Amino acid sequence: MRRAQTLLVSILLAASTLSASSQAAFAATGDVWSNSDSFSTKCVGFNDTYPRQLYNLNATQMANLGYSPVTGGLGAGFTRAAFLRTVYYDYAIYVHSHGDNYWATSGAPNVDSAFLQDPGVGACSTSRDLIRASSVKAATLGSVYHLVIMSTCYLGSGISTMPGAFQIEKVKNSTDPEFYLGYVHSTYDSSSLRFEQAFWSYLNGGTANSRTLYQAFTYARGIGGYAYPDSANPFQPDWWGNPNYNGAV
Amino acid sequence: MSNSKAPISIRAALLASAAVSCLVIAAGHVAVADSTVRKAVPNSAVVDQAPLPPKRVETPLTADHNPGVFARAGKTRDALGFPAGVNRTGRHVKDGFQKTEYDEVDEVDASGQPVSITEFDASGRLTVAVRLDKPGLKAARVSGDAAGKSAQRALAAAGLTAAGTPKVEASGSSDGWDVSWARASGTVPVRGDETRVRLWSDGRVESVAHVEHSLAPEPARRIDVAAARQVASRTATGWFASRGSGYKLESIDLQWVGPNGAFDPNSTVDTQASYRLAWVANVKPSGAAAEYLRLVTVFIDVEDGSIIGGDVIE
Repeated sequence: MRRAQTLLVSILLAASTLSASSQAAFAATGDVWSNSDSFSTKCVGFNDTYPRQLYNLNATQMANLGYSPVTGGLGAGFTRAAFLRTVYYDYAIYVHSHGDNYWATSGAPNVDSAFLQDPGVGACSTSRDLIRASSVKAATLGSVYHLVIMSTCYLGSGISTMPGAFQIEKVKNSTDPEFYLGYVHSTYDSSSLRFEQAFWSYLNGGTANSRTLYQAFTYARGIGGYAYPDSANPFQPDWWGNPNYNGAV
Repeated sequence: MSNSKAPISIRAALLASAAVSCLVIAAGHVAVADSTVRKAVPNSAVVDQAPLPPKRVETPLTADHNPGVFARAGKTRDALGFPAGVNRTGRHVKDGFQKTEYDEVDEVDASGQPVSITEFDASGRLTVAVRLDKPGLKAARVSGDAAGKSAQRALAAAGLTAAGTPKVEASGSSDGWDVSWARASGTVPVRGDETRVRLWSDGRVESVAHVEHSLAPEPARRIDVAAARQVASRTATGWFASRGSGYKLESIDLQWVGPNGAFDPNSTVDTQASYRLAWVANVKPSGAAAEYLRLVTVFIDVEDGSIIGGDVIE
């Protein structure tokens, strides 16, 4: 009897430990990266405070959505090496930086979109700091991503190759659990912040995962009040993916 | 698409490996982690010690206790041609993200999903209305002229007024139209304040937004544009010259702006509620700085010439 009781306790302990460990092992990791040193006194002569605020907002809200652990980095931790080393493990990615659609090494008309790593303590050098979509795609090993937010200029435009780096097709009727968000034109930081605040406020409002990413996107786009530099660059976010996906991990 | 997702099996295998490792640990044998297990990434910085995250607090509203809000919402829904749901839910929202408060009513479909949202400020004025369903099969695209007229009819029906000629722009991402009226106080624009109607390509209204900030009293004295230009030039020279970069002062004009901490590392960037009159200078860097910055916008207080915030295009 005593041996039977001991065995039962052992089994229960093992099951309990397995359950907790499995939950941790199956948690969906998110990374939030924000380049601040490119926009600091070192590179441009003043300290732009938007990157820090965007980082804090997105790190906390990605965790609220259910991604865990949310890692990544603000400033010097956001290196190309760190990004490419960790991206494979992630299900959600957020990047705030300078972004653009560059010619691929094969030349025009092929595009290889890119964003800038944080220069950290090194010299300011955009050519050195580029993280190209082709490099990202190679590092992902074709794995799936649920949520990708490119808080940069231009990486939400029709010619952007960044969605493909994360295996997200540029369609609005995907049935896979995936959602890519980016900005089409040159975009003020204040507009990115206003949009992302409204997006997360709506998405993480109410009961957990009750609202879809498309609903949050449409709501945030609809609130208006966005600054933009000129009529050639209206504030215009765009998305691709699954309109019914709620971001659940 | 399905082919490109095949490698998920690799990650699944790693996860299965993790589960097996846990089983071994649970059985009291080798407490060694499997190095291939998908886990917290090595050398990845943890989340910054951030200030407390903003909160959104939603308090339920009911048609019985808040008939005025629900009546306004119903009238707005019909005025804008939004679909009726099978149910309606209401809430008072304290939005710590945007630092606003409003009453919200949702039209909800049979599955409990909202099909439209209407929001009203404390005075009962419509601030936001958005339909969340999708346009469905493509109908014929209306012209810009027709889109402008459709937007004006919708605003009038919803009880909003917008003076002047609207700006009508094609919306590239949705194939629809954006019709907007920028707000001005006298002849001075209020930065970001506007009434904006977004339309689907067939002319149906997708959203209406009315954004209006309070304005501080006009200052008794103003620095002139020449003095403001000097402040902008001095500031830009201080920023860019030491980096071997140049700049061009593209424009400078009077606007009402929300002061913020855009260039103050000891402050948050949060815009203050009350807008102030400022000279707004657009500075375009050249040289090395231009590789990072596309444009810097500087707000110069019209009364004392101090920098009270700004904006950046990275």
